[in-house]
Amino acid sequence: MPEEKDMSGKSNVGESVDAGEENVTSSDSAVAVQVPSLSYESPFTVVDALPPGYSKRPAGEPERNVISFTIDGADVRAPEGIMLVDAAKYGGVEIPVFCYEPKLGAPVGACRMCLVEIEGIPKLQTACSTPVRDGMAVSTRSPRVIEAQNSVVEFILANHPLDCPVCDKGGECPLQDISYGWGRGKSRFAEPKRHFEKPVALSPSIAIDRERCILCYRCVRFSQEVSEDYQLVLLDRGADSHVGTFDGNEYVAPFSGNIIDLCPVGALTSRAYRFRARPWDIEQGGSVCSMCPGQCNVDYTVRDDKVMRVQARENAAVDDGWLCDRGRFAYQAWESDARITQPMIRQGEKLMPARWDHALEVAAAALKKSGPRTAALAGGGTTNEEGWLLRRLMLEALGSPHFDSRRGGKLDADVARTLTEPAVTLSVPDVEWADAIVVIGSELVDEMPILDLRVRKAVNRNGAALAVATARPSSLDDKASVTARMAPGRDDAFIQALLAALAGNDVGDLASRAGADAENISQIAGLLKNAKRPAVLWGERMLYASTGTASAKAICNLVAMLGLAATDGAGHLQIPVQANGRGLREVGVLPNLGPALSDSATQGMSSDEIADALGDELSAILLLGTDPILDSPDGARWDAALRAAPNVIAFSSWLDPATERHATVVFPAEVGPEKEGTLTHPDGRIQRLRQTVDHAGEVNSGWWVLDQLAARIGVDFGVKVVHQVTAQIAEGVSIYAGISSNEIGGTGVRWQERTAASNLPAPARSTFDLEIPPAAPQAAPGSSSLRFGTFRSLWSGADVENAATLAPLVTASRLELSPADGQRLGVATGDSVTLTNAAEGKTTAVVALRDAVPTGSAFLLDSQDDGLRRIAAGRPELVEVTP
Amino acid sequence: MSVELPKPTVYDPGDDVVEVVRGPDPGGAAGFYRAFGETLRGLKTTLGRLVEGPVTIQYPEEKTPVYPRFRGRHKLHKFEDSDLEKCVGCSLCAAACPADCIRVVATDNDPNDPTSAGERYAAVYEINMARCIFCGYCEVACPFDAITLGHDYELADYNRSDLIFTKEMLLAEPVERTPLRREGE
Repeated sequence: MPEEKDMSGKSNVGESVDAGEENVTSSDSAVAVQVPSLSYESPFTVVDALPPGYSKRPAGEPERNVISFTIDGADVRAPEGIMLVDAAKYGGVEIPVFCYEPKLGAPVGACRMCLVEIEGIPKLQTACSTPVRDGMAVSTRSPRVIEAQNSVVEFILANHPLDCPVCDKGGECPLQDISYGWGRGKSRFAEPKRHFEKPVALSPSIAIDRERCILCYRCVRFSQEVSEDYQLVLLDRGADSHVGTFDGNEYVAPFSGNIIDLCPVGALTSRAYRFRARPWDIEQGGSVCSMCPGQCNVDYTVRDDKVMRVQARENAAVDDGWLCDRGRFAYQAWESDARITQPMIRQGEKLMPARWDHALEVAAAALKKSGPRTAALAGGGTTNEEGWLLRRLMLEALGSPHFDSRRGGKLDADVARTLTEPAVTLSVPDVEWADAIVVIGSELVDEMPILDLRVRKAVNRNGAALAVATARPSSLDDKASVTARMAPGRDDAFIQALLAALAGNDVGDLASRAGADAENISQIAGLLKNAKRPAVLWGERMLYASTGTASAKAICNLVAMLGLAATDGAGHLQIPVQANGRGLREVGVLPNLGPALSDSATQGMSSDEIADALGDELSAILLLGTDPILDSPDGARWDAALRAAPNVIAFSSWLDPATERHATVVFPAEVGPEKEGTLTHPDGRIQRLRQTVDHAGEVNSGWWVLDQLAARIGVDFGVKVVHQVTAQIAEGVSIYAGISSNEIGGTGVRWQERTAASNLPAPARSTFDLEIPPAAPQAAPGSSSLRFGTFRSLWSGADVENAATLAPLVTASRLELSPADGQRLGVATGDSVTLTNAAEGKTTAVVALRDAVPTGSAFLLDSQDDGLRRIAAGRPELVEVTP
Repeated sequence: MSVELPKPTVYDPGDDVVEVVRGPDPGGAAGFYRAFGETLRGLKTTLGRLVEGPVTIQYPEEKTPVYPRFRGRHKLHKFEDSDLEKCVGCSLCAAACPADCIRVVATDNDPNDPTSAGERYAAVYEINMARCIFCGYCEVACPFDAITLGHDYELADYNRSDLIFTKEMLLAEPVERTPLRREGE
C-alpha cells in the first residue's frame, strides 16, 4: 500500500491536495487526485430520519406524510405535522429556542425566541408551536423577524444578571449562544435588575439562582408533565415570578437532576459539580450506566482523570435523554475513601493490603486446590466479557459447573427460551407505542427507573391504557386505568387468575388465592383483550419468591395466550433484578444452560443450591461484583454459607458485608467509567461500556484478573485486550454471532434485529401446565398479624451511601402500613415496632403509614440491617407487628 | 625619481621601457596620513564617546528600566479595602491562553469566610512560566482585572517545576527588581 501511495504522489500533475488514503486505488488513472467536492450537504435532508438508537419505527407509531414547504427561499421536504423548529432543521436552518424541548411534550411558546414570519399570516408566529403544512412559506431572516429576535433577546437579558464569569453555565449556555447569534449586542435597559437571594439550595443536589432564570418553564414542565412529581411550580407573578417547590420544601424526586440538563441558563446547577470545571477544562466520554437494568446512556465529564459529573446521553431507544438521580450523582462515591483500590488478603481476622502478584498467587492456589468444588456468582454490573471469562475459568480451568448470575433456583430451559424469543420481546420504543401496558410485580421507579418515564409518556402522549398489578402500591397507580393489589409473593396466582379471565373462566377462586379483587382482574383482562399491541412488563424479582417457578410458567402462558409473538410491537419485557441480568444469562453464566441458552453438557448448582452446599461439597466461591448477603432475598442464609466456605474470593469496590466478613482474597473492582466491555439491555440491546478514566489506585480490570487467575492455574485464554473477549463472545454465543464493537457503536444494537437471532434454540414447549396455587395467607381476625412483603429502594447500595448528595436519601428502616392497620395497632409514622415471626425470630422497624397500602399487608424495606434481613430472609408469609 | 635599472646584457627593450610612477615612500607627514588617516577618523568617533562615560549596564547589579506596558511576570490582585481576591476562578484566562499554561480549579466560596468577592474562588491558580509566552491575553480576558502582567522579567530558575507559579506566589507583592522607565524616557 505505501508504494502505491508514493506513486500516486509522484505521478501527480497539479499541486497535491490531500493525496490521501482514499485515492490510493485510483493511482493508475490519469488524474490521481480527486479534489473533494465543496458542495454543502445538509445533514438534515433525510426525511425519514430516526431518533438516535432507533433502527426502525416502532410498530405503533403512526406514519407521517412527507410535505414540502419553503424556508428562507429554499424548498424543503419534511414530515407533516412536526413543529416548524424541527422542520426547519430538514433544510439546515436553525431557529433559536429556549423553552422548546420535544422531550417535554407539547410546546408552550413561553420564551418567544422562535418567532418567524409565515406568508399569509399577518403576525409573527412561534415556530415551536406551529405545525408545518404543505406549501408553507416561512422566513426566519426577514427584517421583521430579525427585529423580533433582537428584541426578545434584549427583553430576556433585561433582568439577566450577566454574571457569566461566575456562572457555571458559562461556555455551554444557550443564552450566551443565542445572545451572540441572534441578539442586538447592546441593551437599552438602564433600570436596576430584579434581585433575589442567591444561590439557594433547591435540593441537596441542585442549586437555584433565581436571578438568572428566564422563566422558560422547562423545569416546571418536567416536574409536572414528565416525571409527574408535581413539586416544582412557578411562584408569584410578574417580575417576582420564580421557580420553587409548591410547599417550600426541598425538591427531592428520583429524576430531579434532569432539570439541570434542561435549564437553558445557569439558574439550575448541580451542587456537586458547581465550580468544579469550565467547559474548556473538560472532556466528555460516552458510556453506559451499569447501576440498574435501565442501562441509560451517559456522558462522563472528565477533568484531571476524574469524573466530575454525569449527564444523560440521548439514546431514544433506551433512555429518551433522561437519567435518574442515582445514575447522575452516584459518581461521587467512586472517589470516596470507602472504595477498595488495592488487593487484600485476609490474615487472621483482618484484611491486609497485598501486592497484586501475591494476591493472584494466593487466589489461584486456592482455586486450583478446590478445583471442581468451586462455585461462582456474578453480580449485576458484570459485563458480558467478564461473564464469559468467568464461565471459561470455571469450566476450562477448574472443571466446575457451579456458577450462576441469578439468585434463587434454576431457570427452566424451555421457560428461558420462551421468554427470550425475539418475536415476543418488547423493545423500549415499543413500550412507548403500546396501546395497553400491564405492569406485574414490579415497582419500575425502584427497579428500572427510566422505564417509569417511558410508561408515563405512553399514557400521557400516546393514550396507552395502563394496568398496574403489584402487591405494594406503585408510583404508577395514579396513571393506571386499572390498579390491582395482590398478597405479597402471590404473583403466580394472580397471573393464573388473569389467564382464567382472558379465557373467560371463573376467576373468583384464583383471585382469592392471589389475595386480589376478581373485578380488577377481569378489567385488566378486558384491557388486554381489546388491545392491538399489548405490552406486559414484569419484574424478575417475582421469580425469586418461593412461587417463582410457577410465576415464570404462568408468564409464558400469558405470552402465548395474548398472542404476543404474532403482533409486531406487542410483547413482554422482563425487568431483571441485576443490571446486566439478561446479558449474563445469554453468554451462559447459568448453571444449567450454555451460551445463547443452549443445552449445557454440565449441570451445575444454582445460587440457592450453592448457598446450601458451601462448606460441604463446595469449598471455594468466587464473588464477581456481588454480595449475596445484600443482593439475594435470603441474606442471612448466605452469611452463614460464606462463613462456612474456606475460601471466598471477592471482586468488590466496597467493603460490603460479604467482603468484610468472609472474603479471604479481595480484588479491587472497577467502577462504571473505568470499565470497558459490553452489556445487554433487558430488551436485548447490546451496548458498549467505554473506559473514560484511568483505574483508581491499583485497580485492574475484572477480565484481566480472571485471565491472570486462569493463567496461573494453567489455562491460556488468549486474551490481551478486552476486545478479544468480545470477539470470543461473537464466536461462542450464537445469538450474538459476529457482533463487534463497531457494530454496537454509540447507541447499541438489538440482537433480535440481527440475522443471528435465528440461532436461538427453539423451546420444546412454550405453554406449561400450571398447578393450582396455594391460598393467600390469612391473618386471624383481630390479631396483630399482617401479610408480609419486602421491597427494594432505588436509594440503596454502597454507591448511593457513599455519594454525598444521595446519602441523605438512604432510609435505614421502613415498614409500610396502611393507616387503618396503624390505627388498629396503635402506631403512627416514625414509631418503632417489633416484627415477630414464630419461625424466623423478631426484629424492629420504623413505621411509615401510607394511604395506598392495602389493609392487612405490611412491607419492609430491604436494607443492610442484619435483623431486618434475617426476618426478610425467611420470607414469612405473616408477621406479627407489635408496638 | 627614476629607477636604476640593471644594464641590459642581451636584450634591449628600447622604447618599450615603461616608467612606473610610485607613491611617496613611507615616512613623512603624507605617508603617515596615508597609513592612519582613516583609522584616526574612526578613532575620532570612538574617542569622542569616551568623554560620555560608559553605557554598559552592569547586569545583574544594574537593570534596564522597562516601559510601563512591558509584559513580565503575572500578578494576581486583591481588593485593597476588603483584602478579598479579585479572581473568582472563572478560568477565562485559561481559555484565552494560547500556550495553555494556566490551570485554574475553582471551588465554592464560603460566605462566612470569603476568599474572593464572588460566589466562587480559585482554589488552585497556577501559571507555568516555562511555557508562558507573555502575550497578555489572560489580562485581556479577565473580567475582574484580577490578573495583570507585571514588569519582572527575571524568571530563570534551576528547576522546571519551580517555574510553575502558584496562587500564593502570584498574589504576594513581588519584590520589584525591575526599574520602570520614567515618563518620556
